[in-house]
Amino acid sequence: MWAIIKKEVKSYFLSPVGYVFIGSFLLMSSFFFYMYTYTSGSVEYSSLFYYTTELLTFTIALLTMGAFAAERKNGTETLLLTSPRSITSIVLGKFLAALVVIIITEVFSLMYYAILCYFAGGITGVSESISTLIGFILIAMSYIAFGLFISSLTENQIIAGVATIVVLTISWFLPNLSESLYILSPINLFQKYPEGIIAARESITLITLTIMFLLLTIVVMQRRKNLK
Amino acid sequence: MIKVENVTKKYGSHTAIDNISFEIKEGEIVGFLGPNGAGKTTTMSIITGYIEPNSGHVEISGYNVSKKARKAKREIGYMPETTPLYNELTPKEFINYMAELKSVPRKERKAEVERVIKAVNIDDVQNKLIRNLSRGYRQRVSLAGALVGNPKVLILDEPTVGLDPKQVTQIRSLIKSLGKDHTVILSSHILSEVSQICEKVIIINKGKLVAIDTPENLEKKEAGENTLLVTVEDPEGKINDTVKAMANVRDIKLVKEIPDGTKQYSIFARGDKDIRKDIFANFAKCGITIFELKKAEISLEDAFIDLIDNQKEEKSKTKEEIKKEKQEQKEKNKKDKENKKAEKNKEKENKKKEKGGDK
Repeated sequence: MWAIIKKEVKSYFLSPVGYVFIGSFLLMSSFFFYMYTYTSGSVEYSSLFYYTTELLTFTIALLTMGAFAAERKNGTETLLLTSPRSITSIVLGKFLAALVVIIITEVFSLMYYAILCYFAGGITGVSESISTLIGFILIAMSYIAFGLFISSLTENQIIAGVATIVVLTISWFLPNLSESLYILSPINLFQKYPEGIIAARESITLITLTIMFLLLTIVVMQRRKNLK
Repeated sequence: MIKVENVTKKYGSHTAIDNISFEIKEGEIVGFLGPNGAGKTTTMSIITGYIEPNSGHVEISGYNVSKKARKAKREIGYMPETTPLYNELTPKEFINYMAELKSVPRKERKAEVERVIKAVNIDDVQNKLIRNLSRGYRQRVSLAGALVGNPKVLILDEPTVGLDPKQVTQIRSLIKSLGKDHTVILSSHILSEVSQICEKVIIINKGKLVAIDTPENLEKKEAGENTLLVTVEDPEGKINDTVKAMANVRDIKLVKEIPDGTKQYSIFARGDKDIRKDIFANFAKCGITIFELKKAEISLEDAFIDLIDNQKEEKSKTKEEIKKEKQEQKEKNKKDKENKKAEKNKEKENKKKEKGGDK
């Protein structure tokens, strides 16, 4: 699995994908930071993440759409599937590689925190910031797992990307349809973390969604062996 | 070493591989032959565990490929026909990644990668991007990916396609030398290549195993008889009588008349007797000049074409049989339906009667 993580992270940064993802994310984060935090005179680092999680809904597909679709199209899937690696470790490897990119992004976004601390004249809102970062990783995990699942269904990257964005956007507005669909909406599950609460129910739901989609991906990959 | 048992693969109603069984021993170099679409690649994909067969199973060093996948796959180095590679990596990085995937220990990895790079002779491009490599280099990088980690079994799908003649001979001798301590399966449509490298040939056609034997045996089987080809100048037309007077000759046939006045005959000897000396002596006596005298050889090519043509005839027969079977089944189905209908009607009537009784 370590070999796959290493290679995948390397591939993210050998191709423009990693830079485009981090660059566009930070560019838009800076925009939000200026618009909603800086100009309103707020020193809350966590409130910035209400916007950046929405951003994630549209940009996560960049990381996940090629994961299986591109490998299938190029035929390199053969190399992975005939190597002595289990499908589980292949899927987990790709999942963790995408997560590494997210964590790198998060580290970069700490600069906003530094700026706020500078203006506030000291370290502020530590607990809120930590819970927000944890929440951000959890929501990213569920998004990545879902994106990988969609990518495993097709060999067309564009279709995988568009389908991921569309479904994640729909999930955002699901609670408007019915209150009970709240648990299928990562972005709504996230709302408590910036308040400094690591809510058990929300965390468990996000982790469950992640595991569910990872399992579905593994099942799809395993089933495809029989269909090829 | 490799055991393929009753493997069948179907795509919908199309049967790609039909009940194939064979065994390959350690250290053998086996050639897979067959026309396009015969099922060579599918068979290889099943052996490597990339595709799951509908029925039957494959064992490698005693490990079932579908049940003990990791252990079985550790024994295999596979070079797919399409030579898939990661374009964003360099050959060195790619081979290193393949070594990692195959769990080559970290300490040995560097030396192993270098060994393989030397073996396939890609030192000069090892740090270029794979994206920019020509077909021949890609081919060799892909082969290197299969070789790394020194797996016991090498499965090479058309390893010499797209190489220039010098590279072809290089790769061929590489494969031959690998055959000393590896089991190699390679597919090819170049028959001379197979008869040069391989100790055993498996011919498949339309998903069925047609023949499995050494190239020499296949050629012999087809040659069958002890036949000579002679080209002579025979101004007096005595050849027929001369030959028929000889003891060990069964028959003579004119093959063609050549414009320079000579004629080519094929002479069929009795049994295994070598009659070349007799022919030379007798012909000289009768004033027949021999321009050429040779054994008629049948190449693997002839054997291959013959075997596949034979199978076609058989197939057409079986097709008719299949048609018959289908018709019979249709009739059966019809009867069954009728029977069911009759039963239903009976049931209905019974129910009606019961209802009538209730009333």
